Amino acid sequence: MWGSRYFGPAILFMGVLLAPAFRAWGLEGAGRENLSEIRREIRELEADRSRDLQLMEKLEKRVDQLESQNSQLKAANAQIKSNASQAAQQVKSLQAQVEAGPSPKTMASAVSGYLGSHTFTLTGSAGVGFVYDQQSSAYTGFPNQTQNAFFLDWEPMVLYRPNDWMMFEGVLSGTFGQTGTGVDLSTALFYLFPYDKLTIGAGLFDQPFGDWYETQSPMWVNRFITAPLPFGVAPVVPPAEMGVEARGGLQWGEVGQDFDYTVWGGQGPGYTSNVLGAAVTSPIAAANKQTNGKSMGARLRIYPLPLDANVGRLELGASTYDGKWLSGNWMTSWGLDFAYLYGNLQARGEFLRSYRQMPNGQPQDNREGWYVQFGYFLTDLKVPGLDDQVNKYLSKFEPLVRYSGVNQHFVSSDDVQGATGIGLGGVQVGFIPDFGLNGSPSLYAPHAREVALGLDYWIAPSIVWQNEFDIELPHAGGMFVNSNGVATGVGATPNDRAFLSQFTIGF
Amino acid sequence: MRKIAWLLSVLVIGIGGLCPGAVNAQQQESQRRQLFKEGARLWPVYCAQCHNARPGSEFAPYQWNVIIMHMRGLSNMPAENAQAILEYLKGGRE
Repeated sequence: MWGSRYFGPAILFMGVLLAPAFRAWGLEGAGRENLSEIRREIRELEADRSRDLQLMEKLEKRVDQLESQNSQLKAANAQIKSNASQAAQQVKSLQAQVEAGPSPKTMASAVSGYLGSHTFTLTGSAGVGFVYDQQSSAYTGFPNQTQNAFFLDWEPMVLYRPNDWMMFEGVLSGTFGQTGTGVDLSTALFYLFPYDKLTIGAGLFDQPFGDWYETQSPMWVNRFITAPLPFGVAPVVPPAEMGVEARGGLQWGEVGQDFDYTVWGGQGPGYTSNVLGAAVTSPIAAANKQTNGKSMGARLRIYPLPLDANVGRLELGASTYDGKWLSGNWMTSWGLDFAYLYGNLQARGEFLRSYRQMPNGQPQDNREGWYVQFGYFLTDLKVPGLDDQVNKYLSKFEPLVRYSGVNQHFVSSDDVQGATGIGLGGVQVGFIPDFGLNGSPSLYAPHAREVALGLDYWIAPSIVWQNEFDIELPHAGGMFVNSNGVATGVGATPNDRAFLSQFTIGF
Repeated sequence: MRKIAWLLSVLVIGIGGLCPGAVNAQQQESQRRQLFKEGARLWPVYCAQCHNARPGSEFAPYQWNVIIMHMRGLSNMPAENAQAILEYLKGGRE
């Protein structure tokens, strides 16, 4: 009963006591669910956060990449700008270069490279002239003539240089004259330069006797139109030789004080015929006619004045040429020459002699000749009161005077009635005017004398209009040999005048 | 001490070996200028000995090479003078 009496309150007490626990238990169950929900949410949040973090990292990387790309783009842009600026500068520079054209040095280099090491050059000269010769009377046995004629001469010179110690040169001469057209080979030779003080030449060359044949005979170099008498119609020594030459020069003192030598050996002299007084012919004929012996020659020249002394340039020379002709007969010769140049003055002259043994007991054919000439450039001339333009024209003139003569015992009919100089290597034979020859019969007198007055107008250093007035003053005397070798005395000889005018270009 | 001397020698030889090109080029240019000046002095005298002196502008440098050979052969002028005149005639074009 007690138990039942207390059972209710106990139960109540237990209920009161346990009520919070039950309530808590009930609550705990709900909290667990909430917690689980919270945890799940937390996990979701963590996952979200992780994804966000990953995304952020990706975005950061992307931003970094973009920044890097941006900076590269900036750098590239700067580079492009720089390149564009440089390109603009280059274009400007190229435009300037194009407008200015290539420099001569560049052009020279390009042309040289294009042409190669073997170089070929064409130079030479050409001239056209007119001769008027008023002959006063006839030469012994021949009618006198008055000449009016035009002439043309073209002398191209080919220079070929395969390397720096070898070259070839050749000169052709084409002439149109009163009697037709002629072509001739003037010179053709090889040059070798094995050593500074030695040059070797081989072939057909101008006779290195004195200065005339070698250096003064080209038409634009010769101050006159005609040759001086010893080198014209009655040459004292042959004008050319076929053979070998050795030559060279050296400085023996101060600058300008030089010495040079030339020695040569060749085919030997030849003549138009074996009669007395026959003129020396061209070397082509010499190589094929009357020559049974060889020849030797030598020339020495000295230049005594030093350049720094300012007293001009003086040349003194001596030459000899000796050989056999016509089966062992001797021909010997010697000569002296000078040239002096000082400022606008130029003077030169030569004296030469030759001795020729004749066949069949004929007397020896001895000859001597000379010339002296002076010229003066009027470069500094300024006539007061004259217009500047007129003074300018006057300053281009060069007045000249030359005296030349030849003495020989005999003249040959072969010379007097021979062909013209056309095709004879520049040696004029015959008294018909030809290029560089006034055609006067007086030139063939045994004692020919000529005064030549010249007036050159220099358009350029190698372009000249030349005018020449020739006065023939031969001395009477001597012998005339006909084609049979019969000699008769020469009496009075014609004194005539001639005028020549010529336009010449050296190219 | 020996090593230093050896290193210095190597250095000097090395520099000497590297520079000759430049030194030669300078020397050549200097010689060329000297020849040009000498040629300018000789040109009016040596050329006018036979004919009027022609200016460098008349021919191309490669042509002057040939023409001067021809002139040297013909006039017997000393080779060094011919070289100086050639330098002057060609230099006038450059």
